Order: sequence, then C-alpha cells, then structure tokens
Amino acid sequence: MSLGRTRAVTLEGVRGRVVEVEADIGSGLPKMVLVGLPDTSLNESKDRCRAAVINSGETWPNRRVTVALSPASLPKSGSQYDLAIALAVLAAAGAVPAEPIRDAVLLGELALDGRLRAVPGVLPATLAAAQAGCRRVMVPEVNATEAGVVDGISVVAVRSLAHAVALLRGEEPPDDPPVEPLATTENLSWQGEDRWSGLDFADVRGQPAARRCVEVAAAGGHHLFLEGPPGAGKTMLAERLPGLLPDLEPEASLEVSAVHSIAGVLPADAPLVTRPPFLDPHHTASIAAIVGGGSRIIRPGAMSLAHRGVLFLDEAPEFACHVLEALRQPLERGSICIGRAERSATFPAHFVLVLAANPCPCGLDFGKDARCECTQAAKRRYKDRVSGPVRDRIDIYRKVEPVRRHEVRDELGGVEGTSVVASRVAAARARQQQRYSGTPWRVNGEVPGPALRATWPVHATGAAWLEEHLAAGHISARGADRALRLAWTVADLRGDDRPMLDHVKIAYALRLSEPLPAAWPTDLPLAAEVA
Amino acid sequence: MLTLVPDGSHERTARLALSLLAEPGDPRVADDVRRRGPVAVLDTWSTQIAAGEDAGYRSGDCVAARETAERLLESPQPAGPRWVCPGDAEWPGGLDDLDEVAPVQRRGGAPLGLWVHGPRQLAAVVTRSVALVGSRASTTYGSQVAGDLAAESADRDISVVSGAAHGIDSAAHRGALAVDGVTVAVLACGVDVAYPRGHESLLRRIAEDGVVASELPPGATPTRLRFLSRNRIIAALATGTVVVEAALRSGSLNTANWAGGLGRTVMGVPGPVTSSTSAGVHRLIRDGGAELVTSGTDIAESIAPLGSDTATWVEGEHRLVDDLQGADRVVLEALTVGVARSAVEVAAAARLNVEVTEPALGRLLLAGLAERTGDGWRLSRQAPLALRSH
Repeated sequence: MSLGRTRAVTLEGVRGRVVEVEADIGSGLPKMVLVGLPDTSLNESKDRCRAAVINSGETWPNRRVTVALSPASLPKSGSQYDLAIALAVLAAAGAVPAEPIRDAVLLGELALDGRLRAVPGVLPATLAAAQAGCRRVMVPEVNATEAGVVDGISVVAVRSLAHAVALLRGEEPPDDPPVEPLATTENLSWQGEDRWSGLDFADVRGQPAARRCVEVAAAGGHHLFLEGPPGAGKTMLAERLPGLLPDLEPEASLEVSAVHSIAGVLPADAPLVTRPPFLDPHHTASIAAIVGGGSRIIRPGAMSLAHRGVLFLDEAPEFACHVLEALRQPLERGSICIGRAERSATFPAHFVLVLAANPCPCGLDFGKDARCECTQAAKRRYKDRVSGPVRDRIDIYRKVEPVRRHEVRDELGGVEGTSVVASRVAAARARQQQRYSGTPWRVNGEVPGPALRATWPVHATGAAWLEEHLAAGHISARGADRALRLAWTVADLRGDDRPMLDHVKIAYALRLSEPLPAAWPTDLPLAAEVA
Repeated sequence: MLTLVPDGSHERTARLALSLLAEPGDPRVADDVRRRGPVAVLDTWSTQIAAGEDAGYRSGDCVAARETAERLLESPQPAGPRWVCPGDAEWPGGLDDLDEVAPVQRRGGAPLGLWVHGPRQLAAVVTRSVALVGSRASTTYGSQVAGDLAAESADRDISVVSGAAHGIDSAAHRGALAVDGVTVAVLACGVDVAYPRGHESLLRRIAEDGVVASELPPGATPTRLRFLSRNRIIAALATGTVVVEAALRSGSLNTANWAGGLGRTVMGVPGPVTSSTSAGVHRLIRDGGAELVTSGTDIAESIAPLGSDTATWVEGEHRLVDDLQGADRVVLEALTVGVARSAVEVAAAARLNVEVTEPALGRLLLAGLAERTGDGWRLSRQAPLALRSH
C-alpha cells in the first residue's frame, strides 16, 4: 500500500479545523509535492520532513511523494503539520503501521535531526480534535500538559520522530534528550501570578474615591478612566485591579488559555491560565500588537490576551488614534475580528478596560493653584484624542489628585487590603451570577441597557431621579444606561436586593467623577447615632 | 488662719457632684450655679431631694454623689482623666462665654466642669484653635478637604477641635495627627468610652498626643441630647468653627449656630452646588453666617485678631499684557501675527492718531511684543508666549 493518511489541525483565530493529511508514493522522479494551499512556512515543511526522516534512521522514499492537505481550498500555514506529514509518508512507505495514525491528530514541528519542537496553539487544536470526535492526539512532549487539559482525549507525548516511530512499531523508545519549550515566559506581562502577586490594595494610600472606583470596576466588570497628574497613583491602582478579581471559571480559563496558546505564551508547566490576565501595552505598541494581526498567521494582540482580565492603557491619549478606535469593537461585542485579504480570524476580547491619562499635555492642570502652561487648544486636542465613542463606552470616570502628605502618614485610616476588598467583590459577583443565571451575561457591565431596564429595573425613585438629569442634559442616554448598570453593582457590593435612589446617586457620581460617600460600602454610621 | 474666700476644693467637689446629678447643658442648673455658687446649689438640692421635691432636671442621691465626687478628686488615677472646672489654671475662659448667650433647643450655659484626658493643658491648647465639624455621612471630597484643612491648620500651630464622630470629625482629627499637630476631641459620652466603637484607636491616639474632653463623667453613654450639649462646648472652646460638609438639617449647623452666638468666627467650605451634603454649608454662607474658607491659610487669617495674620491670596496667573497702559494695549490688539502693517494702518485699525500710535509701537518693540519688518509692524514671534504668563 502506498497511501498513508492521518490528521492535523489548522487554526482560524481560536477555532480549529481538523485537516486530513494524505501521502501518496507514486511512480516518477524523486520529488515531493505539497498540495492544499500551503504557504511558505508550510512549504518548507517538505525539506524539514525529509531531513528529519533520514536523520532518524528511516528511509525517505526515492520516488514521487504527493502530500495533500484537505479541505484543499482552505489556506494553511505554520509548522505544526510536520509530524503529520512525516508519519503519513512513512505510513505510505509501509515503515510504520498505517492504522493507529489514521484517526489520530498529530501536531508538532520537526527539527532536521528529528527532534519534535513545540508549536503554539496546541490547546485550541486539541479542543478542535476532541470536538471532531478524535480520540487521540500525538503532540510534542513540551506541549503535552497543555493538550492534557482537554477532557475525553488521550494525549501521546513524543520527543522526536524516532520516538513516535518506535511507539507505533511497539519498540523500545530511543533515549532522546528533552526538547526546549517554545519560549521562556518568565518576563511576559500577562503572568498575573508572578509579576503582580506581591501587589496589595493596601499599598495605595489616600485616594478613597479612586479606590472605590477600582472596586466597583472589579465587581461589575465596568470600564474605568482615571485622569490625573503623573505620580497620582493611577498605575498603582490599575495594577491592583486584577488582584481583586476572582479566579477564572473553568470555561473562561480554557478560553483564555487557548488564546495564550496561540500567542505561544502559555508556560509549559502551567497550561491553564487560572488568574485573570493583566496586559499593559506601551503606548508605542503597533496596532497589530494591540489588536492582533500578522499577514500569514493571524496572532492575537494584547486585547485578546487580556480576555477575561484587565487591559490597561497608560497614557491613553499617547496611543495611536486607530489603536484607540479599534477598542470600539471589543468593547461592544467582546470579541475582535481581524480581516486580511486571504482569511479572517475572530479572537475573544472581553476585558475590563482601564484607561489612564494626564489632565493635560504637561500634566500640571490639577488642584486650585494649577501651574499648567498648556493652551486651551492643546488641552482640548489632548482630551479629544480619546474620542467620544470610546469615552462613551467607559462606565466610570474619575479624577485622581496626588496623595497628600497627611494621607501618606495617616495610620488610623484603616486602609483595606486586597483580601478584604476581593471578598466583597466575590460576594457581589456571586449575587450577579445568581441573578443572571440562564442568560448570556455574567456581570452587570455586560448586560445590555434594554434588558436591564426591562427585566431588572432600579427602584422608581432612582429611575425618576436619573430621568430628571437626562432631561436636564447632565447625562447622555447611553450614560444613563451605564449609570443603571453601576447602580446594580453598587447595590451588589452593599448586599442590597435592588438599587434605590441612593445607589443611583452613587452610580451617577461614579460616572461623572463627583464625590462619593466616604463611608461606603463599609463603616456606615449607625442610624441611631444622631449628632 | 481663717479665709473669707470660698474654699476652692469645696467648690470643685460641689461642681463635680452636681454634674453627677444633673444632665449636662441644662441652662437652669447653669443659671442657678452662676447666681448662687455650686456649694449653695448642692446644699439646696440636698434639702430638696431629702424632702422629696422634684425640680425636674436632676435625679439621684445627693449624699452619694458628694461622696463619689470626693473620692474621685482625692484619689485621681495618675494617667487617667482629670476634673477641670472654673478657677483651675487649665480651665479655658472661653467656656464661660456660654453663660452670656441664650439657650438653644433648651441646652445652654457654661459647663460645671470638664473631664479632661491627655498630656496637654486644655486652656493652652485651645488659645489658637479651630473646630472642624461636619456630616458623619461625609463624601470623599469632604473627608479629604477636612483632612487637608486640619493638616494645614496644624502646620500653622492651630489646634484642631472636633467631636470624634464618623466622617468629617475623624478626617479632621486624623489630618492633624498625621502631621504631628494637636487635636482635641470633645465627646458626648465619658472620656473613657470608645464611641463610635470603630474609633477606639483614634481616641486612644488623641488621648496620647492631644486632649479628649467631656462634661460627662467617665463611663457615661451618649444620647441625642448629649450630642446637642456637646456641640456648644466645641463651639465655645475653639477660636473659630469651620463647617466642612453639612446637609440642611445637620447637627454641625447647630455647632455653627453656637459659634455664631458666642461671637466666634464661623467659616464654611463650599462643595459642589448639586450636593445635598453641602447644602447646609451653602445656606450658611449665603445667609452671611459663615466666611468662605478653602485652605489653612484662610482659616489662620479668619481666626486671627484683626489684621494680625493676613492670608496671601493665590493670584490668577500674571500676564505681561496686564502691565500695559492705555494706548499700548489698544495698539497691541491692532497688531497681527503674520502680515506687517504700516504705522498708519495700525493707527487706523486701533482707531488712534498716528502721533499716539508710533510711540506706543516703540514701547511694544522694547517690551519684545512688537516686531519691525522693513517699514511695517507686526506681533513678535515671542508675543503669544510672553502674553500668556511669565
């Protein structure tokens, strides 16, 4: 028999499609042909496979070898097909049994000496294989933990082509050295547990109002805009937001891990991202880095890597305009679609957005004796860089002033740490989950305005009060909707069953950077105490 | 040798005994004590209580109260609270002013004495002091401003007096403590009672570094009436009273009311005009009952004897153009950035004579605001920058 057949997976965004890999050895001059819309990186697979097979001590057929990847009309790229191609050829040549690999999915890139290198996207590829009814995957050893996360599929970890061949023939596997993982991930920013594990909310001194805003943003999944001079603590506050979020639920964890797997930033020893990621791209980052993209392989950007976590854009007005405008789609839909001439990919991008900005280009326009020297026009230009449509999608707006000397030294203020605030956030999220069970939404920030008003209206007094401000033009219609969502989060944080007038007032203040109750939501004065 | 002046220790004991029998801040008691002296009043009460007469404002056993008072005064705890009353060196004279004003809500009169706890001398501490009062349900803005004002006042050696309640009060105490300033807490309960409970550590800190005072005996618990009585003491102790945030029916307006009645300086901090938490302060300022203050400097000026401490105003930014006189200014406005114009054209644009315009252009040239190009004049390149500020 001169036909070998196995399977591999191609990825479009986070969705994978099982691809059939067939190898035929026919008469003709020694040559290898790869059909099925391979791109350059995939075409190079021919040479890698040939060298790897020979260097593994096997024989490369000295005839015409045709390898077809189907569906043939689907463009394919990447190096993860190497193992499938090499084994299909060997099966066609009768060097390995054809039956065991026929229904298995094989993934991995071959080195010229036959070592099997790690590839990105093993987790979503394995998910796709499982969904397609496949029972077994063969993956590079370094990716095995990642693939092992998926239920209902058995993972065969191999170090090299010779290892794979030995397993198929039922021989003793060779003693190959272990292969390096894809990337050293120690300094990658989304590794919440490492870089941000030492941060505590108690490190933030003063800023009672901004602290509340961060807490509300965490509890209800609301987007936050912090405006203040350099050194006011905007970054400190934003960095401590992920710590307030609960661990990712299993389903969300899988989604996040899949995205990170495609980006190749999933550590080999921790295949599941369990903590909400935190991404803080620099303002010089390109649109492809933030939105995602690339010409051949479409890779997820910071927006997608921040999925189910926090995306923090410091110095937001310094980002390129089209980067900021690109926020609109994920803010609206929770996903981002990247279109290229040949293909398009959709990545999830559901994050809590935190924008930070200076009050003006020089950063000194704050307080009662402002020393700012910016012209009015320069200030307006700076403010307009974050456009109205993007601003409109931000729930909480807060001006932050530098912390005062007495606030830094105040030891009696009882500053709450991450664990205290996080437990309030968790309780508030539990209430929301219960309320929204059976709906596609999880937190107040996700619920569309019409659904909120129809199914979960706030108390009539609060609604009427908000209506007055809407009529007076103090708040836009979209802003009023955002205020209603915030009112629910305020009620959830306090453990109240339904937002009343007071909750709506607090929500309004959150939206417009007005003073908040100092004692909320803890330490409320006793009603009996009258001064 | 016999002395004709009343025995000081008898008087102190009598005042303390009376304070154990009557509710503090009762104007009838204060009035009686002022006219007849505490010893005579206590004698009368003994007789009346023995005869079963009820005056309606006292209760208890006169003999027991006198014994308790004697015991408390004879064996004071070394680090505990002390009884301070009129005639003592530590007695702040300002409290006696309370006898001169009419009662408010049936509370009034100078206190019989005060229980004082803390290392500092009350009279010395309050000679230059400000009461910072306001809503217990304060906003983040109010608490922050209260802290700022307290810290800035403390920096100017002004003691901060307040009531140790939630909200503005605690922010004020904490602001003063954070910059190692002196602060006085006047309570509506015994000086040893931690109320509100969450402020136990705050009160302990104040008793360590400042003064905790109350006209109620140790162990007494707060009541609504006692808060009202306490407010008059805060107002009388401090040189001036600042209301930071108060709703229209806030207890801190009662304190401001007392301060006004006592002839003390009443000050108010404005908030957003849309905020109900500041509505009471805004009413107070609008009615002319309070001076508007925004900083410790303002407070220092307001509470200082006339003319002795003048606040330096934070001026709006100074612009070069502010110094220009008459024609110069008009001519400057007539100049344009790009196109140069002849003196005649400039004069026409400025609606001035050429004779006036030419010297003005010369002066603007010297000031670096105008520029000469060939036979024309235009605004110098530096002018927009120079006009903004310097």
